[in-house]
Amino acid sequence: MSFLVLERLEKTWPDGTRAVKAIDLAIEPGEFVVLLGPSGCGKTTTLRMIAGLETPTAGRVLLAGDDVTRRTPAERDIGFVFQFYALYPHLSVAENVAFPLACAKVARAERDAAVARVAERIGITALLAKKPRQLSGGDQQKVGLARALVRKPAVWLMDEPLGTLDSSERLAMCEFLREQQLEQRVPTVYVTHDQEEAMRLADRVVVMAEGSVLQAAPPAVVYSDPATLFVARFVGSPGMNLVEGELVDGGGAFRTAGMARPLPLAARARSGPVVLGARPEFVRFDASSPLRGRVAVDAFHGPCRYAHVEGVFGRVAARRGAEERASLGDEVGLAFDPAGVRLFDPATGGRLA
Amino acid sequence: MSAPENREAFVRPPALELRGVTKRFGAGASAGRGARALDGVDLVLGEREFLVVLGPTGAGKTTLLRTIAGLETPDAGSVALHGRDARALAPADRDVALVFQNFSLYPSATVRENLAFPLAAPARRLSRAEIDERVAWAAKLLHVERLLDRPAKKLSGGEMQRVAIGRAIVRRPKLFLMDEPLTNLDAKLREELRVELRELARELETPVVWVTHDQAEALTMADRVALLVDGRIVQTGTPEDVYARPNSPLAARELGTPPMNLFDVERKDERWITADGVELARADAGAPERATIGVRPEHVLLDGGPSDAVVHVVEDWGPSRVLFAHVGAHALHVLAPRDCALRAGDRFRPTFDVRRVVVWPRA
Amino acid sequence: MRTEGGGALRWALVGPTLLLLVAFNVFPLAYNVFLSFTNAELVGEGARSVGGANYARVFDDPLFAAALRRTALFVVVAVGVELVIGFGLALALKRDFRGKAFVLTTLLVPMMLSPAVMGLYWSLILNGNYGLLNQVLAGLGLGEPQWLTDRDLKFWSIVLVDVWMWTPFMMLIALAGLSSIPPSIYEAAAIDRAGAWTTFRRITLPLCAPLLGLAVLLRATDALKQFDLVMAITGPNDGGTQTLSALLYQIVFRDGKVGLGSAYAILVLVVVMALATVFTRYVDRLRGAEAVR
Repeated sequence: MSFLVLERLEKTWPDGTRAVKAIDLAIEPGEFVVLLGPSGCGKTTTLRMIAGLETPTAGRVLLAGDDVTRRTPAERDIGFVFQFYALYPHLSVAENVAFPLACAKVARAERDAAVARVAERIGITALLAKKPRQLSGGDQQKVGLARALVRKPAVWLMDEPLGTLDSSERLAMCEFLREQQLEQRVPTVYVTHDQEEAMRLADRVVVMAEGSVLQAAPPAVVYSDPATLFVARFVGSPGMNLVEGELVDGGGAFRTAGMARPLPLAARARSGPVVLGARPEFVRFDASSPLRGRVAVDAFHGPCRYAHVEGVFGRVAARRGAEERASLGDEVGLAFDPAGVRLFDPATGGRLA
Repeated sequence: MSAPENREAFVRPPALELRGVTKRFGAGASAGRGARALDGVDLVLGEREFLVVLGPTGAGKTTLLRTIAGLETPDAGSVALHGRDARALAPADRDVALVFQNFSLYPSATVRENLAFPLAAPARRLSRAEIDERVAWAAKLLHVERLLDRPAKKLSGGEMQRVAIGRAIVRRPKLFLMDEPLTNLDAKLREELRVELRELARELETPVVWVTHDQAEALTMADRVALLVDGRIVQTGTPEDVYARPNSPLAARELGTPPMNLFDVERKDERWITADGVELARADAGAPERATIGVRPEHVLLDGGPSDAVVHVVEDWGPSRVLFAHVGAHALHVLAPRDCALRAGDRFRPTFDVRRVVVWPRA
Repeated sequence: MRTEGGGALRWALVGPTLLLLVAFNVFPLAYNVFLSFTNAELVGEGARSVGGANYARVFDDPLFAAALRRTALFVVVAVGVELVIGFGLALALKRDFRGKAFVLTTLLVPMMLSPAVMGLYWSLILNGNYGLLNQVLAGLGLGEPQWLTDRDLKFWSIVLVDVWMWTPFMMLIALAGLSSIPPSIYEAAAIDRAGAWTTFRRITLPLCAPLLGLAVLLRATDALKQFDLVMAITGPNDGGTQTLSALLYQIVFRDGKVGLGSAYAILVLVVVMALATVFTRYVDRLRGAEAVR
């Protein structure tokens, strides 16, 4: 049985905006689930409804088999990390972290030991005596994390907890959260707009847009088999290349604007308009390809480079070796590795193959 | 690409030249703002060059920009704009445009009014028609044409930042100063704007100093990167150069995600050994006795090495996987291919690609 | 900040204010100090120096000691009660409900009226024989206490009116304090499973405390000077309700002893200045805490 279940969960604001549209989601014991989506997709509202900070307009939240929809946050046994910290400004860092334990009437000595332990792991030991306002945004966020992690609740809820950290700090905190998760096996729901973070942390990624769930699957599946055009574009950096065109020759070839001849594909069942999708690592330069364009950008990424090629068909990025420079303005041909080609329905945005 | 531009910079005066710029904040009221000192900063920016200053929070990035803009007066050193000593120039006379992290638009004014505002100053003596033309030009470049009559407060974050940048470009300044302009945006939008703004800068042919803590911006956008740590420039060079050949462990730590693996080692029998006896890689005969060695995660191979490593976390990074492992007591990051089958708890024998290992002598 | 050649302009701008300050503050104060060492009277002439005799008399005067004690009691009780009731009202009014604006406005009315006029009205209401209050009490068969003439009651009647007048002020400040606490802090407390009492004691109270402290100091300096209500309700010469200001009034305007009164005034000034120093220090500390933020 699932540990945390959202049943047709719905939130409509007083002005009529449907922030969350009848979401169904089941989270297993010990699972790390990431709600991923752009600003305003309803991910934070969903998280706040799980916490009890917002009241759903319809649907239910079940925690460990109990219907907690109408219960207060305090009655739900959760840890929550706020996007903007929500630290107690008049209390020291140590007192902030100890607060949930103090509320649970944990003995002072035990409390101090727990605070010291979590502070050590998150790296805020030197800050314990300070007040929140004396800290940088990143450090305040670490304190917020420490406060949520000092107790072992039934579920952890995190609202963009790494948003204010520098990229190097973010990497370290990701690693820390992952270890924490492996050790404690407390189910976690984590909200972010950063798909890289989602990919790194999640057992399962739930991609949301406009209040609905588009796909809920392990990161590898969301990455290589996106359910919709939106997911294909949103996941991956850069996102999946998408080229509008049509399948011809009984589905055995792809044609798009400006092509001298169609591009052969592994045989597909149907013909007609499609959007062809391919991740940049499945695109390579091929002088003989009929799909041609000019190099518009050649961006270095460290371990690799991305050449953005512009043509009548739009833009396609190809992932290349760190030393394979491309000259801006050069005309090149593009070929797709058949293993990486995905097809979408241009009308519905759904996956075809 | 940047080499000819640099040569040109010596023929004509550079767009910007900082020499020994030092700025300290006293223990007074302004010190609490998190700004730290600049410590002898030298920087040269060629015409049309895109320079990214990369550094962690509190490194002095904002102070650097404010000093160039004339909002701060350096305690020592010189600032020259296009060969002219800028110390005597007020901010308004420097012909630079500053874009901030937090958009700073007039919320109730429309996009059109926001864009026209910098042009409306009487000193510019622009006719109504000229102003309209420039606003239309900027709106087109930044893809905000359909938003022109919307009030700024009704825009999304990405749209606001486009308009803020538009407000900087309408003036056609001689230099753009960008203070983490993408930091407050969604990751996806950031990624799109990185590409778009880089191309825009190329079109405008105006030099840019772009300050950020985001490595992706430094790597993908810069003609040249300057690493700023604690008020000092640690290294400058093309992104490829700084990435492949960091000049110090400090520089190595600043660039790269996951970061470069660094080990303090000693050379014994042409092998690099850590202080606690873990053998890491083959060492050249002429290499120093004691050194810090660095190897990028993508240059660690998964087999054939001298020592055992244990995986403790595997992360999925899309086209690749990142292994967080330990070799002996030392953390080791490995960027592995997508099809890598190693799981948490598995053992492997990491090999460093010796041609890519960077060695810094250690006292 | 450095200004160039603005010397004349600076004096022209500051001059008039400075002149007024000297004419209406510095001179009277200096004159008052001078008078306090003389036997000057309201009528008659020939003020002679008496050295420190006036000050010596003040310290020997049982009336002064009594007025000082009474004033202190007044400050502590009136301000204390105002604080408790005002904060309570603010807590009750924190949440949104229908008609909140109306209730709030009504509660604020007493603060906006003139103390002297209100004193007169209250003396009518509290009048032992025909006052509104006693008519009601009599109607209910609860007797007719002599609010304004009973030796043990009249002081408390003045406290009551002061509380009625100034509780809204405390409420207003407390409301401002409460609404400055971000809702997310309460959300965090709910997540941390803090009960209502813990939330109040460890979050609401400490976060409101700086503003409440400010309000208490403001009210205390004000109450220390209490005169209008005493004047309007029992008159300044009533030994049972005489505050420091009232005593001063009696000495100067009834007894005509300007010299002695000046000495009194200087001593009162010292007390008020001590309190004002505490007040400004406190405000500075608040501002210092703000600056770090």
